[in-house]
Amino acid sequence: MAEWSQLPNELLQEIANRLESPFYLLRFRSVCSSWRFAVTPRPSRLTSRFPFLPNDGISENTWGFHLSKHGIYLVSSSETGTETSSDLWLIKIEENEPGRMHLLNPLSRSQITPLPEDFPKVFDFSNCRVRELGQAYVLHYVQFRPSVNALNDAGHLYMEKVVFMSLGSNGDDFALLTIHVSGKLVMFKSGDKRWTVIHDMPSLYDDVIIYKGSFYAVDYTGRAVLVGLSSNVSLVANPEFGGDKKFLVESSGELLMVDMYLSVVPEPNLDDDEDYQHSQFMGDKTVKFKVFKLDRERKKWVKMKNLGNRVLFLSDDCTFSTSAFDLYGCKNCIFFTDNFFYISGEDDEIFKSRAIGVYDLENGSIAPLADYPEYSKLFWPPPDWHKLMSSGVSASLRTSKLCVEFNRGSGLLSVHFGGVTLKHATGSILAVNPQIRRASLIRQGQGILMN
Amino acid sequence: MASSTSGSSSSSKVVKIRSSDNENFEVEEAAAARSETIKKLLEDVGDDADVIPLPNVDAKTLVKVMEWCKKHMDDVDELNKEEMKTWDAEFVDMDQSCLYNVLLAANFLNIKELLDQLTQKVADMIKGKSPEEIRATFNIKNDFTPEEEAEIRKQNAWAFE
Repeated sequence: MAEWSQLPNELLQEIANRLESPFYLLRFRSVCSSWRFAVTPRPSRLTSRFPFLPNDGISENTWGFHLSKHGIYLVSSSETGTETSSDLWLIKIEENEPGRMHLLNPLSRSQITPLPEDFPKVFDFSNCRVRELGQAYVLHYVQFRPSVNALNDAGHLYMEKVVFMSLGSNGDDFALLTIHVSGKLVMFKSGDKRWTVIHDMPSLYDDVIIYKGSFYAVDYTGRAVLVGLSSNVSLVANPEFGGDKKFLVESSGELLMVDMYLSVVPEPNLDDDEDYQHSQFMGDKTVKFKVFKLDRERKKWVKMKNLGNRVLFLSDDCTFSTSAFDLYGCKNCIFFTDNFFYISGEDDEIFKSRAIGVYDLENGSIAPLADYPEYSKLFWPPPDWHKLMSSGVSASLRTSKLCVEFNRGSGLLSVHFGGVTLKHATGSILAVNPQIRRASLIRQGQGILMN
Repeated sequence: MASSTSGSSSSSKVVKIRSSDNENFEVEEAAAARSETIKKLLEDVGDDADVIPLPNVDAKTLVKVMEWCKKHMDDVDELNKEEMKTWDAEFVDMDQSCLYNVLLAANFLNIKELLDQLTQKVADMIKGKSPEEIRATFNIKNDFTPEEEAEIRKQNAWAFE
């Protein structure tokens, strides 16, 4: 008989070390007492402050940056029984201080606010399946007075993508890589006094990623490099000319490059102030994508005809991928943020901000998310089960239909609950106290007869 | 169990090992030596070794572990890496009680690479699941005190603003 709770501590620690997401570690420590006490929680690493990027020309009244982490999760209820794609919910969560979260559009940095009225104030993930799909890091300016009408909070955010690498096992040391406004790569390591500009630039850099524990970057021409921690750069793929913006994505352990093709749409009427407001959003339209896989030996990007059962997600601050198996059938396509699909009013009012587009590699079609109702549900609104995840409502009460009957003749109150009938002689307590502790006490039968 | 998986097996040296339930096995030395524990024992007893007893591993588990050791006896060249990856993935895909025994055996026998693969498999089985689903997967009882339970609830609950 396997006694998993009795595994030696060294094996439990070995297993826990392979749970890269803090969320998975939290789950691990919620299983049983031996698992909980074999492993200590990892400290949060985001307390430090970073020096200001040199020559960025944005603002002088800032003291530097602080970093926030956004986690992208695929969530479903573990209580709904048979799963369908409509049970799935893709979310991005920003954790400001432990336990205080913001819900964000999964493919942008804009907060979903206000939350619907029936959204749990405290969301209990105990009974959810949670899969971490990606992490994004965002630098905020310290001491910058946020402008009231800033677009998507642009005022206090450094807009380029930032990747974060943890160094060493104690979790204190780290390195950051981002793209400077000049198009050059810049790196910051914990303990450094300033950012290091990497002076290697045949052409402007487009994207950065962490792949198999190392920094990689791709420039506008498709030339990709591995970036060492001492700011040394070595070529991993020669240029692959073509589209307008390159993204790096990891998918099934492979490093992919996605090439986005843009087409300029006609200028809107500049006489109309409102249209002019939108013109900066509507300038470029995404028309197609090409996907390449890295061939390390030949230092070459190899074009992929399709993604098989993978789905890619591209946003300004993070790229990630998942398998069709996780998404119940949605496959071979790319979700991306697209300014062109920004049409105010058409989206759900809450889920406003920048719109999402879908590119289907199967037939080359490209359309706003709203054209795919099945896929759209993945983002917003939250699946119905979310209302039940309010902290304090017990698991058993949630899954079971609770039904109370009062028999006038006998004076007995009976409660039917998950197929079991509970009877109480005097009548008043149970039924609707949804606290977990109470519910389990009731099930153990204090003053209650089970038949 | 068939004994010849690799070319030079006929000429290589064979060692005898004994499981906790007293079954004897003959294994090529190169395979058995994937286990640091067995390797050390072999060095200690030298050529006089009769049978090496392994009091912590039953026959069923030992067969499984030796199957892995045989497959991983020789260095893998680049060409066969993919094939080996597939074989490894199928190997660790076993029911949880078997996985448990092989994991403990790999730990006792000190086979680093196998241990890595098995702990990764367990981690993959944990990822994405709710605590209750993890308990169900590994047949674990929730033994938290009400105080611990309350603390865990709190940690799993996030306030949204």
